[in-house]
Amino acid sequence: MSLEQWSENALLLAFILYNISFIVYVIAIAGKKWSNRDPIVHVRRWGRVAVTMTVIGLASQITYFITRWLAAGHVPTSNMFEFMTFLSMAIVAAFIILFWIYRLSALGLFAMPVSIILISYAAVFPKEVQPLIPALKSYWLYIHVTTAALGESFFAIGFAAGLMYLLRTIDYTSKTKESRKDSRGIEFTLYAIIVVIGFVLVSNGFKSTDYSAEFTQEVQQKDEQSGQLVPVTKTTVYTLPAFVQPANSKVVHMDSFLGMDQPLLSAPSWMKGIDSGKKLNTVIWSLLSGLILYWILRLIVRRPLGAIIQKTMGGIDADDLDEISYRAIAIGYPIFALGALIFAMIWAHEAWGRFWGWDPKETWALITFLFYTVYLHLRLSRGWQGNKSSWLSVLGFIVVMFTLIGVNLIVAGLHSYAGV
Amino acid sequence: MLHNTKCECGHQNPVGTVLCESCGKPLDDEFGTAPLEMRYDGIARRSQRENPALIDRVWRFFSSVKVAIILIFLTLCASIMGTIYPQENTFLNVDPSVYYEATYGFSGKLYYLLGLSDTYGSWWYKLLLIMIGSSLIICSLDRVLPLYRALSKQQIRKHMSFLVRQRVVYQGQLPATGITAVSFIDGLVPLLKKRGYRVHSDGTALLAEKHRFSRWGPYINHIGLIIFLLAVLMRGLPGWSMDQYTGFLEGVPTQIENTPYYLENEKFTVEYYTEEELPEEFRGQGRAVPKLFQTKAILYECTADCSSDKPDLKQVHQQNIEVNKPLKYKDLLAYQFDFRQTIQIRAVNVSLTDKMSNQTYGPFELNTITPDETYVEGPYVLTLKDYYPEFALNDKGVPFTNSKSPLAPAFIFVIQGPGLAEDGEVFIYFPRDVDKQRFSQDKLNAGIVDKIDIGVGSMQDVSISRFTSYLNIRTDRALPYIFFGGIIFMIGVIMGIYWQHRRIWIRIDDENEITIGAHTSKNWFGIRKELSVILGKAGIVVEPKQLENGVKQA
Repeated sequence: MSLEQWSENALLLAFILYNISFIVYVIAIAGKKWSNRDPIVHVRRWGRVAVTMTVIGLASQITYFITRWLAAGHVPTSNMFEFMTFLSMAIVAAFIILFWIYRLSALGLFAMPVSIILISYAAVFPKEVQPLIPALKSYWLYIHVTTAALGESFFAIGFAAGLMYLLRTIDYTSKTKESRKDSRGIEFTLYAIIVVIGFVLVSNGFKSTDYSAEFTQEVQQKDEQSGQLVPVTKTTVYTLPAFVQPANSKVVHMDSFLGMDQPLLSAPSWMKGIDSGKKLNTVIWSLLSGLILYWILRLIVRRPLGAIIQKTMGGIDADDLDEISYRAIAIGYPIFALGALIFAMIWAHEAWGRFWGWDPKETWALITFLFYTVYLHLRLSRGWQGNKSSWLSVLGFIVVMFTLIGVNLIVAGLHSYAGV
Repeated sequence: MLHNTKCECGHQNPVGTVLCESCGKPLDDEFGTAPLEMRYDGIARRSQRENPALIDRVWRFFSSVKVAIILIFLTLCASIMGTIYPQENTFLNVDPSVYYEATYGFSGKLYYLLGLSDTYGSWWYKLLLIMIGSSLIICSLDRVLPLYRALSKQQIRKHMSFLVRQRVVYQGQLPATGITAVSFIDGLVPLLKKRGYRVHSDGTALLAEKHRFSRWGPYINHIGLIIFLLAVLMRGLPGWSMDQYTGFLEGVPTQIENTPYYLENEKFTVEYYTEEELPEEFRGQGRAVPKLFQTKAILYECTADCSSDKPDLKQVHQQNIEVNKPLKYKDLLAYQFDFRQTIQIRAVNVSLTDKMSNQTYGPFELNTITPDETYVEGPYVLTLKDYYPEFALNDKGVPFTNSKSPLAPAFIFVIQGPGLAEDGEVFIYFPRDVDKQRFSQDKLNAGIVDKIDIGVGSMQDVSISRFTSYLNIRTDRALPYIFFGGIIFMIGVIMGIYWQHRRIWIRIDDENEITIGAHTSKNWFGIRKELSVILGKAGIVVEPKQLENGVKQA
């Protein structure tokens, strides 16, 4: 077996172990109400099993990381697949650190899914080891990307604990405006998570069936030589069935999906960005599959999803969750500032000749930093602990994810190679 | 309105004090039960002065954390606005007043008109940063001095209501009979010291404190940020920063504008990954993945004749410039930015042949960038009458040059010597064979061509520049200060977050009643656990969670 295969298998093993450990966390937390057992003993025993599985999974993922490093000759953080798997690994590590401090195994119930979803999300991108382009040939690639990801992983734990706090404290029996707002917010957050799951399932599903549809489009492009606009025919290949074709495009061929062999709609003509029709189609697929998944779950449990999760959370101290969330963010903040801003500035200075250039990715790193700066300052104020700061930790993680993924999808800049 | 700010312990507190500076008794909410607001130890800040003058009002505005948070939030929102469409500075040679509307339609026009197309260079964005800077300075000054004063003269025995209104509280009796208050306190001292506390006791009361330095973390990180922002401002000073893009043709030392330096691109290399080095997916698609861009650079300093064609150059530095490996020499930085294939003749080593005697003179070098005015070869004198780097004829048949780049060089000589007319005869020489044919060199030289010829022996006599390497030339003198500010910021943040200022107050009343209050700047879980362990060793068994003040915070 080649080193690269070893590495792939180690990642697969880690992924399986994470999933199993998640199930064990569910057993540990939800099973404490089962008959003929002492809940405290049950949680402790099964929690220990779950954490052990997590640690073995982490070891396996570290093996993946090191073997891929050896195989590629560079630290595997150079494209979206590598970065996302690294981030998922860092999140598990951050979870283990916070578990080690607070001994709250229930945290795994929320931390593990974040990591599992990120690994599956990574699988959507090309897995092959790619050689480095000159811009990435620097040891700052390792230092900047890994430190930034480590900081973000603590924000992820802050998010997990914040979400747990909200689920733990929302009063589903109350009819006040606040608790209804909270409940809707929670459902929306859960729906957003399910959308990501939907995207991952749909993408990987159609990838395995080799679905394709091809469109051509006449676009005006600036000619390098003459500097004039000349018409160019551009081809876009979809890997998801097209609800929406690119604006002003012709169908070259389209595999049939459930009898649909023509796109239903065309993207609006003002969408002129690179691949914007394809991205719009992907967004529609994600939202739709998320909606279907969400309603299937709702029909099964017949109440808000938050209410059913809340049932498992009895006995967990809400103040502890609030503190874990705050602590995780406080631990992550300096690491993030160092990695995503200071090291980024040093590398930008080395590679591009300016330490700061308002590139969208850079700016969004600053926005993330400002957001958590606001969070930390608000924590000092009265009335911002608990509910409000938990919402901030949820919102903050959305900002982090937008910086990592959204910027690449919507506003590419100098970091666009990270999306390849 | 005047408050009586004298505490019952006899201490005279400044107006605005929340907790007595000496004994800690809450002054404005004496009979409350909620945990105390311990920020800045309840000291009076400058911003709380009565009857404020204008300067006090400005001070009060900027000293507010709430204002600071709003400013940060506004900057955050403004920064987001700036990422909606590409900013003006990402384009070269684009007229923004046309571009945004043409590309994005009405929303693009609006974006431009609102000034969002240059968000980060706009006056209001800069104003926000300046206001954050002022807030950083004033917030810090407003708090750090009074806090320093409060922390450096702490009383050991605190007021009872100060202790029981801490977030971590314990009340109970001495663990066993026979232990006196003094011996219990004495027994705690080594336990606390072992955990890194500095302990002060006065017999029946005790104050243990550790990691006070972490309280200075926020102020240090603010100082770092202020240095950073000032350094960024300083970049605007003349001479502090330079940023230009220059093309360097292979083999031609070119002056770096506004500096005494010349840089020569000795050789430019571009390499692409071979098919074998690419992952399988990429193969056979003709995809060119670059592997290396490298400029072999020599840096010269001009010592004399700097503005002339032939400056006196002294080599001062030599380096291969690659992406991620800029040239560094004193203040000067040169970055690999771009390249273009620009195949052109840099110089030819020609010989002059006297066709009548079949004698050859030379070779001598014709430089296509800065040719000499006369060449003396054997009995012949060649005077350069005209030189066209990119020769062309207009519709009237008059020669002109298309550009200054030697893409189709033409040398027009007046040659004097044996067998030629007294005041010389004109000879037009095209180094490139293509041009020789295109402009029919032999026809132009009719007459003289039977007597004289100029030409190269082989391709080795032709020096060719294949590439122009574009370098980004910079100096940034503020850089050390910027990174210094960054380091100070990091030190401050780490001090303030990874360590916490913990204090434990213990007093024993009536020889038996223990009251403990504890405070930490962060991480309440940690201090409860620590206190529980310490008390456990002293014989008092209490779960960490039980130490939490029963009164929930509002």
